[in-house]
Amino acid sequence: MLTARRRTAALAAAAMSGVLLLASCGGSDGGSGDGKTLRLWHYEGPESAMGVAWEAAIEEFEKTHPGVKVKFEEKGFEQIQKTAPMVLNSSDAPDLMEYNKGNATAGKLSQQGLLTDLTAEVTERGWDKKLSAGVRTTSQYDAGGVMGSGKWYGVPNYAEYTLVYYNKDLFKKYGIEEPTTFGELIAAMDKFVDEGVTPLANAGAEYIAQQYLYQLALSKADRAWVDTYELYKGRTDFHDAAWTYGAETFADWVDKGYLAKSTIGAKVEDAAVSFISGKSPILFSGSWWYGRFKAEAKFDWGTFLWPDTNLTLGSGGNLWVVPKAAKNKDLAYDFIDITMSEKIQNLLGNKGGVPVAADPAAITDPQAKQLIADFNSLSEKDGLAFYPDWPVPDFYNVLVSETQKLITGDAEPDAYLDALQDAYDKGAPKR
Amino acid sequence: MTTSVRTARTGRTVRTVRTAVSRYPVLLALVIAALFMVVPFLIVAVNAVKSPAEYSADGPLSLPDGLYLDGLKSFWERVDFGQKLINSFLISGAVAAGAVVLSVLNAYAIGIGRIRGRTWVLAFFVLANVLPQEALVYPVYYLSKEAGLYDTRLSVIIVFTVIQAAFGTYLLSAVLGRFPREIIEAARIDGANRWQVLWRIVVPVSRPTLGVLLVFFFIWTWNEFLLPLVMLISNDNQTVSVALGVLQGQRLMDATMTNAAALLGVLPAIVFFLVFQRTLTRGIAVGAVK
Repeated sequence: MLTARRRTAALAAAAMSGVLLLASCGGSDGGSGDGKTLRLWHYEGPESAMGVAWEAAIEEFEKTHPGVKVKFEEKGFEQIQKTAPMVLNSSDAPDLMEYNKGNATAGKLSQQGLLTDLTAEVTERGWDKKLSAGVRTTSQYDAGGVMGSGKWYGVPNYAEYTLVYYNKDLFKKYGIEEPTTFGELIAAMDKFVDEGVTPLANAGAEYIAQQYLYQLALSKADRAWVDTYELYKGRTDFHDAAWTYGAETFADWVDKGYLAKSTIGAKVEDAAVSFISGKSPILFSGSWWYGRFKAEAKFDWGTFLWPDTNLTLGSGGNLWVVPKAAKNKDLAYDFIDITMSEKIQNLLGNKGGVPVAADPAAITDPQAKQLIADFNSLSEKDGLAFYPDWPVPDFYNVLVSETQKLITGDAEPDAYLDALQDAYDKGAPKR
Repeated sequence: MTTSVRTARTGRTVRTVRTAVSRYPVLLALVIAALFMVVPFLIVAVNAVKSPAEYSADGPLSLPDGLYLDGLKSFWERVDFGQKLINSFLISGAVAAGAVVLSVLNAYAIGIGRIRGRTWVLAFFVLANVLPQEALVYPVYYLSKEAGLYDTRLSVIIVFTVIQAAFGTYLLSAVLGRFPREIIEAARIDGANRWQVLWRIVVPVSRPTLGVLLVFFFIWTWNEFLLPLVMLISNDNQTVSVALGVLQGQRLMDATMTNAAALLGVLPAIVFFLVFQRTLTRGIAVGAVK
């Protein structure tokens, strides 16, 4: 029954699976604490501002630490998000890695005891002096994992904030003055609507819509209001003057056609493409778009801060964290120190990032100069107000779906604010 | 048609007209279904060869002006794609081979050996099949860490061999349950022991079915994402589907490069399918011709 040919085939198959199994037995080379390798993970693209600056930092590090090799691995954002607690709890933890800031991420890991307390290094090496108050907020976490106070668990290299991107060519084409005040912005948008152009790029299915609304509320708010909302210092009332103004004005803007109702299902990527392709004259979003617009927009464009407000959305960027299980912590501290140096910070700025400790005079590109000057003026007046979805886990999805209802007119501003109050009260920690 | 009393000629005309009438809607439906399957793939292919600026200016549905292969090339270099291909082949190949062997052994005992309580054993395997992988993540992580296998390809091979074999056992048990008894009895009379019956009778006769299982196991394992994502931490150990995740940033996505990567990721599975396509159709047809 079993012919010779078949027997050889079966043998070959068995042998092959054996080889495959054997070959797969090779383990991973987890680092050792010999002070000779620095295992570094981050998830920034190689051409982004951070990617370029950190590449230069690795070179600098190897130059100043002869005999030490940096073993860098580029990770996916999702992989780090999903697996960080597991990796950091194993012997395969890297020595230094980039991690998302916030209560639900870095805060949680610090609470689980998976991160090294950096307080001593931070004060000794003077990193705290380089970071402004708003940026510092996301680096410190208290015993409950809530940001804003307590020990230092991370150090950000960059910051992010929201700003108005506008297409200068479109303003010129319709003969509209570039706005400097809120009143002029409204007037400009009215003119665009008269010309049959929807002035604001929007994405109802993602964060853009809620950020318009939060910014409108912020323009009537102050620092204490933000602390109440984001850091749970007091009771947040969604029917106060600021929130009410935000929701009502937003609904009014939809009625006036500043934002298209058809953008209710649009993704952030759609909003960006509608700006880059020259369809939408104005996009209000984060500094993280800057590099992409710089590379891809074929028209003349500029940026300015949201007019007539002391507060705008933004925070420190993602953090360098040192896992508790890291084996070469001293090398990790040295690396962070290099990334905070003026040289690397200036490079980050020139590549379109928002550095936290650059010399403004060393930034050569005029558009980048504007970006960084605006950030510095914002940070001087302590104007970073974080993001609306931060205080409560899963608040993001509530904000998206409720804001969509506001756009379609299914919910009145009053009902909208009721829904937010409900979700916030349920999810915010009691203190 | 067989009961028709019409002459042969008129009978044939009626038949042709009828089949033509009933065939075209089916054909149309098939074409539409095929379009639904192919269009997403085409969109991926078209965007894979566009430059990022072109994508941003004209959107995803426009045709590319020229062939822009930098996205493919830079993705290959950025993630060291050759290594990922080797890893994926290693893991999928070992899982496919191992799971088929395991399924045959299990199914032999359940389907032909008719062990006691086989319904319960089968129910257990079905249960293992419907268990969501999310529920497996933590136990598998913990066990592999205890066994010193965390972040090795072997851990993923073991886990998927078991998962795929659960399905294979379930399917093969049903197939072998209807295996012609006469053949087995004839072999036993000729003096074959159980082991010989398995390897010389059962396996050669059911080879087409085993071939299909092999192909399916390979492709399923190739496309697995969550467990490899969790278990394979070092970039050197990662599989193709995990490597694709590198491109999805926190706030920005590189649409054209993601498409290029998706194209690269799906090609090997398609090639594998085409190579083994004959086994596949034979295996499906084997039950029909009887």
